[in-house]
Amino acid sequence: MDIGTICHNIVKIMSEYWQVFLIEGVSYTLILSVITVFFGAILGSLLALGKRSRFKPLVWIITAFVEVIRGTPILLQLYFGYFVFPELLPFLEMSDFTSISVALVINSSAYVSEVIRSGIQAVDRGQSEAARSLGLNARQTMLKIVLPQAIKNILPALGNEFVMIIKETSLASTFFIGDLMTSYLKVRGITYLSFECLFIVGVIYFVLTFTLSKIIGVYERRLKSSD
Amino acid sequence: MIKVVDLHKSFGQLHVLKGVNEHIKPREVVSIIGPSGGGKSTFLRCLNMLEIPEKGQIIFEGVDITAKKVDINLHRQKMGMVFQHFNVFPHLSVKENITLAPVLLKKKTKEEADEMAKALLARVGLLEKIDEHPSRLSGGQKQRLAIVRALAMEPDVMLFDEPTSALDPEMVGEVLMVIKDLVREGMTTVIVTHEMGFAREVSDRILFMDEGVIAESGTPQEIFNHPQNPRTKDFLSKVLL
Repeated sequence: MDIGTICHNIVKIMSEYWQVFLIEGVSYTLILSVITVFFGAILGSLLALGKRSRFKPLVWIITAFVEVIRGTPILLQLYFGYFVFPELLPFLEMSDFTSISVALVINSSAYVSEVIRSGIQAVDRGQSEAARSLGLNARQTMLKIVLPQAIKNILPALGNEFVMIIKETSLASTFFIGDLMTSYLKVRGITYLSFECLFIVGVIYFVLTFTLSKIIGVYERRLKSSD
Repeated sequence: MIKVVDLHKSFGQLHVLKGVNEHIKPREVVSIIGPSGGGKSTFLRCLNMLEIPEKGQIIFEGVDITAKKVDINLHRQKMGMVFQHFNVFPHLSVKENITLAPVLLKKKTKEEADEMAKALLARVGLLEKIDEHPSRLSGGQKQRLAIVRALAMEPDVMLFDEPTSALDPEMVGEVLMVIKDLVREGMTTVIVTHEMGFAREVSDRILFMDEGVIAESGTPQEIFNHPQNPRTKDFLSKVLL
């Protein structure tokens, strides 16, 4: 196995199967990631909000949920989603893609809720004290004073969560969902060239996450400078 | 104006206020002095219920604001507060810092609030900063902004919690000038301070707080020249060199 042959194989695989990697794989990975981040952020915000509730049982349930999600492997959760959701809710007729997406969303929501919680907590207590001393109620203080400042902590962290999820969606290939890692399994199955296929997929993942990190970095600097 | 009856406050095991009784009259200027940990700030923060006392009453303009059914937000609008660390809102412009609360709480229209912000800023010499963000202000300027932000709600009483303690020495004067100006206009004022000279000059009454109670109370003349309580004497001998 010399470098010449490897390069030759990579070029050959790409010229024959580029659509499988770049169109099918990348689009499924991105779609899965966008769905996860979008709904994960919504559900995560609701969880973070619920955790601030005065209704204690709700706080306990959410805390337990977040701890369980963060304390068990994501692959286990995907298996759970893949086998249990369709059984539990047969009337929804969930496809594999849907049940895996739901599992990913649930996983991500737990992490996002923590991101939001710590973003809110990072805002100096003096800020809400000042707002309350002016006569603003708790809701007005949250909306007008705390959240606008917390957003600056939350958005970059949410961007990093997106990067994490792009990598984590590769686990969905366990269920042959069609993401980038599934493309690897497919092409390797045809060509029997593991290393070359892994190399191609690795480069594509890296380009995706690296570009995204850079974009987030620029955005983060812009947020900071607006202070 | 503010009547305090047997006020108690603990933080966990720490019993900070051990039965404080006090009556602050309209237009009175009261300075609270004493060693750190004596409960000065806690007492001040109880006055507008930023700290919830376990026991006792605070009767503000005839209403017991410690009662559960009271809408504390309404009463807080009448009590301006200025903090040691300014707590100006960094995400809002200087003008918005001032107009946010009056507009949001429907005390003023946007136009009225803008006009008032201009007038207040001119009064404390910050008019040219009106569209800046607080990050462009010095400590003294931030504190002057915090004072007019509180004034924009047209409060009946102003509470100052060590307003100059976090300032560089050269900025203390400009903030004290603003407070002095307010006092001259007859604003009811309660100040927790370590600026003894200032307390002596502007106050009608000095409260010396130590170990969770008001250990001594009297005119500046009485407290500074003829302290009765040995703890007051001891404290003053340490701070007045």
